[in-house]
Amino acid sequence: MSVTRKGRRVIAGVAASTLLAGTMMAVSTTAVSAASKSGGTLIFVTQQQQLDHIDPTRVYTGRDIAFLNTYLFRTLVAYKYSAGAAGYTLTPDLATNTGVPSNKAKTWTWTLRPGVTWQDGSKITCADLKYGISREFAQDVLPDGPTYGIQYFAIPQNSDGSSKYPGPYKATPAQAKLYDKAVSCKGQTITIRLNKSVADFNFFATYPAMSPVKKSKDTGEKYDLAPLSTGPYKIQQYKIGDSLTLVRNPKWNRKSDKIRTPYPDSIEVRFGIQPDVIDQMMKTDSIPNAVSFDGLLPQDVPAYFQNPSTARRGLLVLDPYTRYMAVNAASMNCLAARKALFFAWNTQAIIDANGGTKYYGVPGDNAIKPNLGPDYAPTTGNIHDPNWKATGNPAYVKTLLEQAKTQCPSAYNKLTNTGVSIDLPNTPTYKAWTPSISAAMKAAGIVVTYNFIPSGQYYSTIMNTSKQGDMSRSGWGADWANASTVIPPLFVKNGGFDLSQNWNDPAYPAFVKIVNQAMGETNRAKQSVLWHKAAQYAMDQYWILGVMFSKAADAFGSGVGGVKWWGPQGTFLFPTMYLK
Amino acid sequence: MPVAAAETEASVQELVSRTPNQLAWVRFKRNKAGIVAGLVSLFFVVTAFAAPLITRLWHLDPETPYADQLNSYGMPKGGSAISWAHPLGIEPQAGRDVFAMLLYGSRISFTLAIVASVATIGFGLFMGTLVGFYRGWVDATVGRVIDFLLAFPTTFMIVALALPLTQRVEALHLGTGNTARIVVLIIFFVLFGWPGFARIIRSQVLSLRERDFVMAAQSLGASTRRILFRELMPNLLSPVIVFLSLTLPVYLSAEAVYSFLGVGVQPPATTWGIVLSDSINYWQQDPSYLLIPAAMLIVIVLALNVLGDAVRDALDPKADR
Amino acid sequence: MLKYIGRRLVYTVIILILVSMSVYLIFSVLPMDPAALSCGVHCKPYIIEANRHRLGLDIPLWQQYWNFAHGIFAGRNYGTGSAAFSCPAPSFGYSFTRHECVTNLLRDAFPVTLSLAVGSLILWLLLGVSLGVLAARFKHRWPDRLATGFVLVGTSLPTFISGLMLLLFVVIKFNLVSPLDLGRWVSPFDDPFAWLKTFIWPWITLAFAYAAIYTRLTRSSVIETSSEDYIRTARAKGLREKTILRKHTLRAALAPITTMAGLDFAGLLGGAIITEQVFNLPGLGRLSLRAVLSDYDLPTIVATTLLAAAFVVIMNLIVDLLYAFIDPRVRVA
Repeated sequence: MSVTRKGRRVIAGVAASTLLAGTMMAVSTTAVSAASKSGGTLIFVTQQQQLDHIDPTRVYTGRDIAFLNTYLFRTLVAYKYSAGAAGYTLTPDLATNTGVPSNKAKTWTWTLRPGVTWQDGSKITCADLKYGISREFAQDVLPDGPTYGIQYFAIPQNSDGSSKYPGPYKATPAQAKLYDKAVSCKGQTITIRLNKSVADFNFFATYPAMSPVKKSKDTGEKYDLAPLSTGPYKIQQYKIGDSLTLVRNPKWNRKSDKIRTPYPDSIEVRFGIQPDVIDQMMKTDSIPNAVSFDGLLPQDVPAYFQNPSTARRGLLVLDPYTRYMAVNAASMNCLAARKALFFAWNTQAIIDANGGTKYYGVPGDNAIKPNLGPDYAPTTGNIHDPNWKATGNPAYVKTLLEQAKTQCPSAYNKLTNTGVSIDLPNTPTYKAWTPSISAAMKAAGIVVTYNFIPSGQYYSTIMNTSKQGDMSRSGWGADWANASTVIPPLFVKNGGFDLSQNWNDPAYPAFVKIVNQAMGETNRAKQSVLWHKAAQYAMDQYWILGVMFSKAADAFGSGVGGVKWWGPQGTFLFPTMYLK
Repeated sequence: MPVAAAETEASVQELVSRTPNQLAWVRFKRNKAGIVAGLVSLFFVVTAFAAPLITRLWHLDPETPYADQLNSYGMPKGGSAISWAHPLGIEPQAGRDVFAMLLYGSRISFTLAIVASVATIGFGLFMGTLVGFYRGWVDATVGRVIDFLLAFPTTFMIVALALPLTQRVEALHLGTGNTARIVVLIIFFVLFGWPGFARIIRSQVLSLRERDFVMAAQSLGASTRRILFRELMPNLLSPVIVFLSLTLPVYLSAEAVYSFLGVGVQPPATTWGIVLSDSINYWQQDPSYLLIPAAMLIVIVLALNVLGDAVRDALDPKADR
Repeated sequence: MLKYIGRRLVYTVIILILVSMSVYLIFSVLPMDPAALSCGVHCKPYIIEANRHRLGLDIPLWQQYWNFAHGIFAGRNYGTGSAAFSCPAPSFGYSFTRHECVTNLLRDAFPVTLSLAVGSLILWLLLGVSLGVLAARFKHRWPDRLATGFVLVGTSLPTFISGLMLLLFVVIKFNLVSPLDLGRWVSPFDDPFAWLKTFIWPWITLAFAYAAIYTRLTRSSVIETSSEDYIRTARAKGLREKTILRKHTLRAALAPITTMAGLDFAGLLGGAIITEQVFNLPGLGRLSLRAVLSDYDLPTIVATTLLAAAFVVIMNLIVDLLYAFIDPRVRVA
């Protein structure tokens, strides 16, 4: 699961509900039949040594955002905590409204709800909020979080894209003024000015990065160990490599919070448990109060869901992520070369090795996942091409290689002689892929080499253009229900996650034109059509291959009730979980 | 395992008309366990290097995924898919033949172990003779270097440095991919392995050079080279053989250990270590996939150790009073 | 004697300084760039630069080393303005991955490794020495054969295989330890039973591997000393075999065993990486391994390496001094 772990994003989409309902294997009915009840200790187990971050400014992992927002951090706006389509709508949380846009959505205001307090009992003020939001700019102290503030706020930028405001810790009065101009408080109302129209900016307000931080309690780098809570629980103990324990926050005011339902008395996350031990624990139900934070290992998924006694304690749903191989267009610098790789790829072997279409996922035809909503439309070509075979089509690849020979001799030399280097995370799952990849490529006359990278360093390494191979395993989910959080990050230079290195591709300028058009379009329906066009374009250029619309397989113990899937963050619906 | 210098020396003193080597051979032949271990070791080595032949005879290919032997969710049919066609079963998920994988894997494992052992011994022999022969500041300097080297935590250094050093080796065009990874492992094995052997050789040389035949050669005006190669080297043969037999199994299992820690040769190539560390993931679904290579590794290491003991006993009868 | 001790002490300190310098040098010139590795998904060049500054890697190498060495004695300060914090002396730096001063990380991990090392040391000495003595007393009879077999299997079985088998097919399969408590550190002073439950399996694994070497060592040194003149004299005096063994033979054989045990123990204290990894123990070995495999957490890597080296060098010193104390001739050399 580690591939997309760092890439886990918010995903939202109204139309997604039908799809989700269709793929859900086991929707817990306990919440309906038996009343949810309070008490007990809910335990989450994970192989990770720690949560990537628990500092609200720095957390950017979908599951962790959902977890922390449910239990610790109240944000300005929240997604509804309910399963199905309703979960994708916004609802006010700390604010009294979901955000008021003005000036063509270039200015946004929120007013804080009265009666909301910190865990120390003090009142949450607009100044706290303003301070909390400013922390994102201190990239030298608090990296890893989302950077939408740096991109969107009406604060001048340097030529390298960094902000002229360096964050609250070391800003000079002049620099602080730049921030004050963009973000200002009047009473309990905060106003944020943007540098362009962002019609769905309030979706960003669901991120903990847009939540308050009390200046007097801010410990900078160390805040990542003990952030101050505004939610129904507070941190009792956090020991990296061991556990995180949350207990009830007596200062949390139930009346001021309409959306959270804190059932358990305490919540514990246990770190550093080996994945096979976790799966064994889930299969045998040896700790009934436990929920696996990581999802089942591929080899355990089929057996788990085929056995009715364990299937009852699992969720098998389409997750928010598109998984794919990013083809490095800088080295695979002609269409025929990338096409050859696309048609040589043995998608079937990977599906089979991971449990089959029922448990792993289906081949995809788009970087945008169908459950994103209207921005997805089936593409033409690629896997719908009559020449495409799930197991690879060596005969067709040979004709493509002939084309590549004249069109791009250097790429051809790599394909047939020195070898196409494939970046993979150094985990058993991906190691198990290599024999079938090699066999399929060999059949097509393509030579491959592998570059295994420790999973903790994987994305950081391949993001370095000089270290990236010719093809890299990757995965991405939308930050919210707009392909603006998919297409630009994946295929536009400096978009954030452009592993296709396509900016020198002759086809790139025309593509960027479509993207810019889409970004500027305020009519949502027209924008969708433009995204369809951009997505089709990217697929036609074969900038990605081996696309999978994959599933998540989660497991929990028999003592846990109210377990449901929550689309927006692609994880459990934490608020409904209770102990039987 | 250090061999006490005073003990190995004893073999020279036997006074019969047969040469010490002949005597050793006679003693070795009397050791039944040693003979069996030797045959087992030989068997493994021969099969390793005859891997292409054996797999062809068995109509197997180490790279082909036998997808028909896997069930619909990627596990070997019937648990391990062991059959006459696939005597050791099928790899889960990827579907390769385990027998062919292990055969080809043992080629890499053995090559690595043998090259590393020979290099360790070669370098240790050179350094040990050097310091034993010249003594003085040479001895002191090398002694300090050894103290310094042995202060580093070996396992950790290898794990920490293998990845970046592999990149360096690739950048220097000394090899790519797995070749580079093997080169790096061998360099590390030699780097941390030679001091032990050099110390044994040093003490041997120190005592040998005080002996009459060396003194005599020196007083006759023999060149340094002659003394080193004609007088000293032949007497260092038995520690070399003993050390070799003890290092081989150590490096063989070291390769497996580093694979387990995620360092060293990478798939789709196979070594015993790779198969072992991969098989741990399927210990519940397909325990035979874990137990077979584990048992094989234990058997070969055991055989080599027994053989090593037997060789030592043969060369040095007083070791086991 | 004092002069000798002084000389050895100086030598040990020099070795440690050299090790720390070279560790710093080795890890700093590697093509691994922690600033880029900890940059995350939305990485941009300016974030890498910010990281480099944050991690203190934007200053010359000698200055980095100086800050490190200085920090050990004087503590270190990090960050600026209201985000500043410090790691008091002895400071080995700050881990930005774990949000903790490295000294505290070492302090947390050390008891785990110590428990592992001490427990297995006791176990393997008991097992190894008694088997060795038995084998020597009943030379070429069945106890000897049994011991030989044990030695061969023990030395042939890599600890990661024996440990894994024990963990998977015994501990997990039969649910002997709750999966939540596998490898979880509990202080023996808080809950001795839970502590025992955590460590007994790794002890067995390590003891099995090490005991083999000690059986062999004990056997040969007991046999060797029993043919010495003073033992023969004792026997001629009519002393009982048991008394001879206890009072004379064993005492003489103890010297090489103690030496070896000291060095092995020191090696383990630096972190038994494989055993800790297999049994999920949060000791020094795993701390260092995690530091390498996550985002190349340099301060932790340097500190654990240095600590492991210190154990080895200091134990060498102790062993040498003990020898010098016992045998005055050593001092002259």
